[in-house]
Amino acid sequence: MSEVTEGAVRPLIDGAARRRPIGLLLVAIPVLLMIWLVIWPAMNAIGRTIWRTDANGQLSFDLSSYVFFFSDRYSLDNLAVTLWTTFVCAILLLVICLPIALYLRFSHGRLSAYVQALAIFPMFVPSIILAFAFIRVLGPNGMVDILLNAVDLPKIRTPYLTPWGPVIGLVWDNIPLTVLILLAGLGSVANQSIEAARDVGANALQVFWHIILPRISNSVLVALSFSVLGIFSSFTLPYLLGPASPEMLGPFMQRTLREVQNPVGAMTQAVVAFGFCIVFGLFYVRSVARNQGK
Amino acid sequence: MSVLHIVEVTKTFPGGTNAVDSFSLDVADGELVCLLGPSGSGKSTLLRMVGGFEQPTGGRITIDGEDVTHLPPERRPTGMVFQSHALWTHMNVFKNLAFGLKLRHMPANLIKEKVEAVLELVGLAGYGDRMTTQLSGGQQQRVALARSLVLEPKILLLDEPFASLDQHLRERLREEVRDIQQRLKITTLFVTHGQDEALSMADRIVVMANGKTEQIDRPDVVYRNPQTPFVAGFIGTMNLIEGEVQGGHFVRADFTVPLPIADGPATLAIRPESLDLAASDKPGASVHRVTDYGTHGLVDLDLADGTRLKSMVAHPDLFRAGQGIELLPRAVAAYRNNQQIYRSSP
Ligand SMILES: Nc1ncnc2c1ncn2[C@@H]1O[C@H](COP(=O)(O)OP(=O)(O)OP(=O)(O)O)[C@@H](O)[C@H]1O
Ligand SMILES: [Mg+2]
Repeated sequence: MSEVTEGAVRPLIDGAARRRPIGLLLVAIPVLLMIWLVIWPAMNAIGRTIWRTDANGQLSFDLSSYVFFFSDRYSLDNLAVTLWTTFVCAILLLVICLPIALYLRFSHGRLSAYVQALAIFPMFVPSIILAFAFIRVLGPNGMVDILLNAVDLPKIRTPYLTPWGPVIGLVWDNIPLTVLILLAGLGSVANQSIEAARDVGANALQVFWHIILPRISNSVLVALSFSVLGIFSSFTLPYLLGPASPEMLGPFMQRTLREVQNPVGAMTQAVVAFGFCIVFGLFYVRSVARNQGK
Repeated sequence: MSVLHIVEVTKTFPGGTNAVDSFSLDVADGELVCLLGPSGSGKSTLLRMVGGFEQPTGGRITIDGEDVTHLPPERRPTGMVFQSHALWTHMNVFKNLAFGLKLRHMPANLIKEKVEAVLELVGLAGYGDRMTTQLSGGQQQRVALARSLVLEPKILLLDEPFASLDQHLRERLREEVRDIQQRLKITTLFVTHGQDEALSMADRIVVMANGKTEQIDRPDVVYRNPQTPFVAGFIGTMNLIEGEVQGGHFVRADFTVPLPIADGPATLAIRPESLDLAASDKPGASVHRVTDYGTHGLVDLDLADGTRLKSMVAHPDLFRAGQGIELLPRAVAAYRNNQQIYRSSP
């Protein structure tokens, strides 16, 4: 009896052992790439911002660039506007994309196909073109102003070059990915489980709250972290549409490096941004793990 | 104490499919009616219209006299059990059952009481804390049934609830559901395409084809006295033979039986158990295959034009493949223009 069992088990172990090197190799490539392209530069940047050469040309531990960042009014304002933009965009994305995704999931026919095409469209438009379209439409003397003028109404207060400029651009830019991720999540909600909820007396709102939302909470998290990480470190849209001061960390770094020519300052800002992104990432990982543990 | 009236209900889908066509049915209080029909005959569509998940394109549905035709599912006194149980996997068993009661703002202690009582009823006492994914298929279907029952619906709707279970479990659950239904005296509409399921559970059977009623009767009547050739062929095994009636005889090149009806084309129907055989030298029917089941035998026959017939015989060892055979029907029915026009007294 025991011999038979052993005989049955051994090939399995052998197979696993033979497969292991291939598995490791497959994992090794992305891990090496990540170490080379992400972790190494990050460590390098952190190292170069805390081990600095002082006046005597000696390498020493020195946190002064961070002290400067966190005591400088302007840097803090930039950090605040970055966090504010990220937060507002995340909320707006949810508020806009959830209804779109719900509509696409639960309605069929030609109209929903058009809505889907429209929602996915921004994905194929480069940010720069998006920014110029924004300026031509919502900017000073843009299309909206011209239209309002034609019917003798006052001009709008354009969001161009205000903190709302990047918000509008970034939200538009992130709608496709958010909708697609939410839609994928909604795909796992079976029609019959929704019908069963209606059968026991749940109205549309109760179905959404008690049946749909718990099932897609992971997708919501994934969608939000994708967009939050992207928005937090975005450059093009805030650079083209945002105010000069305060500015988001992306343009701020670029200016610190190129115009102010302060590489250590720029690196410090990068490390701070990196730190925030890691916090977002950890929050995401923890939520997903907790959801799966349930 | 609930009666269901379905009055000339029609459903035409946007694509033009006429899934249910002017269908009428009255279900009496406490009655279990089975909707039986082949795939695509409109059973689910009809049930979903009663539950409120599809809007009829014509006709009326009333429950206890109240017109519910245009009410959404959440406002109908119906409870539906779906084929794929459709439990909410993010809730445990207790929460699945309590959900509907909570929506009705029932106090927590009463909810607990009711849920425990209904779990007891379906034989799952003590399973409240289980996640639904940790249950077997049969247990999941019981929870789905309990979820409907706990709300005490006036009409219980079941759409092939056992289709995904194995034969053995299906038979057991079938009996359990029938027991519960009789104990609660709950008016029930049950969709199935398994005839043994319908024959063993139903007070009455509705045989459907192409969205229309073929016959509504007690199970034994549907079996013994099918009103249309379709029902004859669909319920149980039936030999259907096309031929011509001439001068009081059903006549074919290969055999002839007395049939006292007016001349014209007719379809003759004979159950295998009513078809006796005798060895014969005359050209006509011949044995194709003999199967011995121990208790009885089944003989497959071919008529000259290739029509395949079945006969149940007591002594299969008397017959051999290729042998010539004379047909001696003991009881026959005849159909013309889709209607039964003759039935010999059994
Ligand atoms: N949503 C729909 N849109 C268009 N046609 C449909 C829809 N639902 C069902 N039909 C059509 O209506 C007809 C009846 O379908 P229904 O599901 O009621 O059959 P059924 O008797 O339940 O069959 P089965 O035994 O396979 O479940 C079929 O021809 C089907 O293709
Ligand atoms: Mg069906």
